[in-house]
Amino acid sequence: MATRALDLAASGTLAGPAPRRSTLALFLRKNPLGAVGGLLMGLLIVTAVLAEVLATHNPIRTSTQVLAAPGADHWLGTDNLGRDLYSRVVHGSRISIVVGLAATLLGAGLGGLIGLLSGYAGGKTDLVAQRLMDIMQALPILVLALVMAAALGPSLTNTIVAISVVIVPRAARVVRSSVLAIREFVYVEAARALGVRHARVALRHILPNTFGPFIVLVTAQLGGAILTEATLSFLGLGIPEPYPSWGRMLSIAAAEYAEKAPWLVIYPGLAISLAVFGTNLLGDALRDTLDPRLRGS
Amino acid sequence: MRVYVAKRLAIAVVTLLGMSMLIFVLMRLAPGNITDIIFESAGYVDEADRRRLAAELGIDRPIPVQYGRWLAEFLSGDLGKSYRYDLPAWEVIKPRLPVTVELAVLALGFSILFGVPTGVISAIRRGRPVDYALRVVSLAGLSMPSFWLAMVVILLLVRSLGLIPSMTYVSPFENLGANLFQFMLPALAVGYRSSALIMRITRSAMLEVLREDYIRTAWAKGQRETLVVWRHALKNASLPVITLIGIEFAFLIGGLIVTETVFNLPGVARYLVDAIQVRDYPIVQNLAMLIAVVTVLANLTVDLLYTWLDPRIKYGKA
Amino acid sequence: MMRPRSLRPLPLLLAACVVLLLLVVARTSAQQPKYGGVLVNSPLSATPSLSPHEESTIATVQQASPCLNNLVYFDPAKKQESVDTLIPELAEKWAWQDSHRTLVLDLRRDVRWHDGKPFTAQDVKYTFDAVRGAPDAKAKLRVNPRKLWYANVEAIEVPDPHTVVFRLNRPQPSLLLMLAAGYSPVMPAHVPWADFRNKCIGTGPYKLKENKPGELVEYVKNPDYFVKGRPYLDGLKFVVIRDRSTQIAALQSGQLDVAGSGWNRTNAENAKSGKPQLVVVEADSNVNDNVLVNFKKAPFTDKRVRQAINLALDRKAYLVGPRQGAATFGGALLPRPAGVWGLPAAEVATLAGMGDPVKQKAEAKKLLADAGFGPGNPLKVVVSTRALAIYVDTASWMVDQLQQVGVEATLEQIETGVWHPKMTRLEYQIALNLTGVGIDDPDAQLYENYRCGSQRNFSGYCSEEIDRLMVEQSQVLDPKKRLALVNEIDRKLQADGARPILGWGKQYAVHWPHVKGWAVHENSIYNVSRRQDVWLDR
Repeated sequence: MATRALDLAASGTLAGPAPRRSTLALFLRKNPLGAVGGLLMGLLIVTAVLAEVLATHNPIRTSTQVLAAPGADHWLGTDNLGRDLYSRVVHGSRISIVVGLAATLLGAGLGGLIGLLSGYAGGKTDLVAQRLMDIMQALPILVLALVMAAALGPSLTNTIVAISVVIVPRAARVVRSSVLAIREFVYVEAARALGVRHARVALRHILPNTFGPFIVLVTAQLGGAILTEATLSFLGLGIPEPYPSWGRMLSIAAAEYAEKAPWLVIYPGLAISLAVFGTNLLGDALRDTLDPRLRGS
Repeated sequence: MRVYVAKRLAIAVVTLLGMSMLIFVLMRLAPGNITDIIFESAGYVDEADRRRLAAELGIDRPIPVQYGRWLAEFLSGDLGKSYRYDLPAWEVIKPRLPVTVELAVLALGFSILFGVPTGVISAIRRGRPVDYALRVVSLAGLSMPSFWLAMVVILLLVRSLGLIPSMTYVSPFENLGANLFQFMLPALAVGYRSSALIMRITRSAMLEVLREDYIRTAWAKGQRETLVVWRHALKNASLPVITLIGIEFAFLIGGLIVTETVFNLPGVARYLVDAIQVRDYPIVQNLAMLIAVVTVLANLTVDLLYTWLDPRIKYGKA
Repeated sequence: MMRPRSLRPLPLLLAACVVLLLLVVARTSAQQPKYGGVLVNSPLSATPSLSPHEESTIATVQQASPCLNNLVYFDPAKKQESVDTLIPELAEKWAWQDSHRTLVLDLRRDVRWHDGKPFTAQDVKYTFDAVRGAPDAKAKLRVNPRKLWYANVEAIEVPDPHTVVFRLNRPQPSLLLMLAAGYSPVMPAHVPWADFRNKCIGTGPYKLKENKPGELVEYVKNPDYFVKGRPYLDGLKFVVIRDRSTQIAALQSGQLDVAGSGWNRTNAENAKSGKPQLVVVEADSNVNDNVLVNFKKAPFTDKRVRQAINLALDRKAYLVGPRQGAATFGGALLPRPAGVWGLPAAEVATLAGMGDPVKQKAEAKKLLADAGFGPGNPLKVVVSTRALAIYVDTASWMVDQLQQVGVEATLEQIETGVWHPKMTRLEYQIALNLTGVGIDDPDAQLYENYRCGSQRNFSGYCSEEIDRLMVEQSQVLDPKKRLALVNEIDRKLQADGARPILGWGKQYAVHWPHVKGWAVHENSIYNVSRRQDVWLDR
């Protein structure tokens, strides 16, 4: 009850999927910001996929041209080991999107499953699951991620796991509230009355209707996941070398050279901000579209 | 009502217990333990010495025993000893608490002061340029890494203005002006992000409330718009905001960690990172539990406050 | 009336005298140290404790030395530390007897501990019996990293309260230098050893005022210091600032008087470019970047693989990239002229990795091919290093260099707490390491890092011949002969690739011009932190 308004604001949809043809056009027209977000996200994905093609140098190749200013040879300059910043930023997009997506999908998937089961089953299972989710959510994101990263060690998989753990309870909550609402619908009761098995009811009737809030959740959490990865890498606990991670490019080492080479601080930070900005814009727009209550007027 | 409170309290206790176990287990999972740390700084390991130290520190016992001991001590108020500094943990944590609390309060204050009015304006002027502009600004706050914002701010300050607040902590009792000057920037860096969330929540809550019947009734009755807004709508929209603050609290800690590092404030959050890296178990466990307790208490208070304030419950419209 | 002829030059002479007098007065008053003021400094990091015998980081030596004294010390004013720059501290006189097998020290009689108790020879015996792990020692250290330094001490005798005698098993001239190290102060016998972690009872120029672990160590002048007229300062304050750019900002804004501990050249340049009045002191240091190759793990047991790795690391590129131009090349001992024992420069230029990078990388590839590795079967290597920015940068550079010769290298960051144990247990393939030894002396350097079975011999290198030579050089009294022998050992170590040295780093001290008497030594960073001659000109 206390979280109802929050749920509404964060997810909320009870309607089924709208007809496909007009959705995109409607979406773009009514949500210019969302279009911008979509564009940024598209740019991010394209850069990540085509990193080798778009980069001008090997991102981990060191050279003797240390702390060079942006120029013809190195479009965004070089860092303190003579590595090309532009290429590192381009390859960094791959890390960000891979880690961000993997962590979000893993966390949201797992959390969604828990939410589905817990919401549908109700009773004791629900109670226990809810307490577990509360416990996971009560600890501050970064602290939990920190302790996990410290416990597991800095590596690609460990970072993904650490970040996904944080997303699980949020996904569970969102899916659960959807399920709770849908469960009351008459057609579900009817299906049960007709003798349809639980699993079938859950999968065929309830699950598809949670897609809306689920998508919204994924895009909403994606930005957070990218940011958490950046913060972990900044603190030295995330993606290890030699993978170029935007967050780690900004870590203390870069701050040291900031006065001499401000581009080292500006561009990776800008990249993170734009990527997260894009996901947030898109997520906002999706939510606005899919939530009928906020539509219109 | 009383039943509800009791139920929530019980849930809170269970949550805390679960968290204590989680924290404890996670810390023990990490490779390396405190004897390694102590020896690390000296550069070599003597097996006999290490075993003696392990026995002295009680870490050679099985994990459930260690957990039980720790829990009993924590509940009785004994926060144990910092292995690294050989001092009572409380003595190491105590001087750092006021710093973090001050930063958190200032950051929260800023985020509310900035977030709520912008959320209201954005809701009232929905669809207009002001709405878009404010949403973009607040979204930028959510998108920027707070440590990046902090670094850019310091860069600008040092480079262009030459204005540098004290790099070493100044207590507010020593010099309130210098202290506020020192905390202003970090609070901004942390609070900007929170303000974005508050703005968004305020906006959607306001939007929902603005459509409610009793608002329309008030309008129909001819009451002035501003009065309607500020008296009725805001009061009720404030509920999810209060809830958010409870949840945001946990999130705030994350921002505090990086900000305290970048601005060199000797707070609890930054110390947590240090302690994790050196496996100073008592400090990590007790700090994490402390944070957990505060977070759960904050959520509990908020929940109870919400239930008490909800007009739908008040007016009987559940 | 006309002045007598003999007296005519008198006025001119008088004027000259007056001018001369004024000049002399002006000069001396400009150089006359002023009393007063509190100096604020930023140490390398927080110190785990205030007990130098139990720690291995400069952070401890920096923050504990102002409070303590050694038997003998290195003269702060002389840049290169050696046996010729030793000055008395708690020992007034000393003499070697029995061909350097016995060291007799006459101690001062006018020294008191900060709590008022008198200093006697018993304190010396207490300290060094504990450190050397004597069976009848009155105290036991929690950790004892330099026990090895005193392995040659058979007994410590106290014939009277102001004389102490070190009896050695065999001659060891270097013992005196070990006693002068920042890591070897004398501790009070009447205080339990465990108290030294967070308190400081010493005989030194400053008394501990406040210790906030992890944050702040503050000292106040010791008015009863046995060196009359010292210290000049009223107090000394160490403020821990973790982040280097914050340190730079604090220095520039005047909140720090001195900084630079652990800085690199870029940090120093940044500081100065923002405030040109700052004084930057750059000097060599006895800290080096080195590569640990696990002698006990295949395929590094193959000499060709080890040599290939050594050749692949282009030292000149290391100088430009990770070091920003601030490092010197050398072998196992600090290179001359800063160091006393290094190989001659001409020889250093012929070491692996120093030559033409293209040729050397080609040679490395060939060696790897000989050992059975190539494009079809690449050598897979994990480079381990500590999870600290300075290490990680250099290790990233190493990974790239190795990849350029076809080695599939990746980086593993090991956390501070787990680093040394992992190294000691040889749980790595190759690692990038940083080594600093308390004194520029072959006994310390070689024994700690290259002796068979030494705790800090992280590469598992073991050579009986080298061990034998080490003991031999330790007993040689003639400095020239000893230098020749030490160089021979160094040559062999480099040929074996025992621990490839990337380079010896530089140290920086950046301070405001009003800070005077801030000493910096060329061949060590550890033995100059007493700070009793520092004064503030304002």
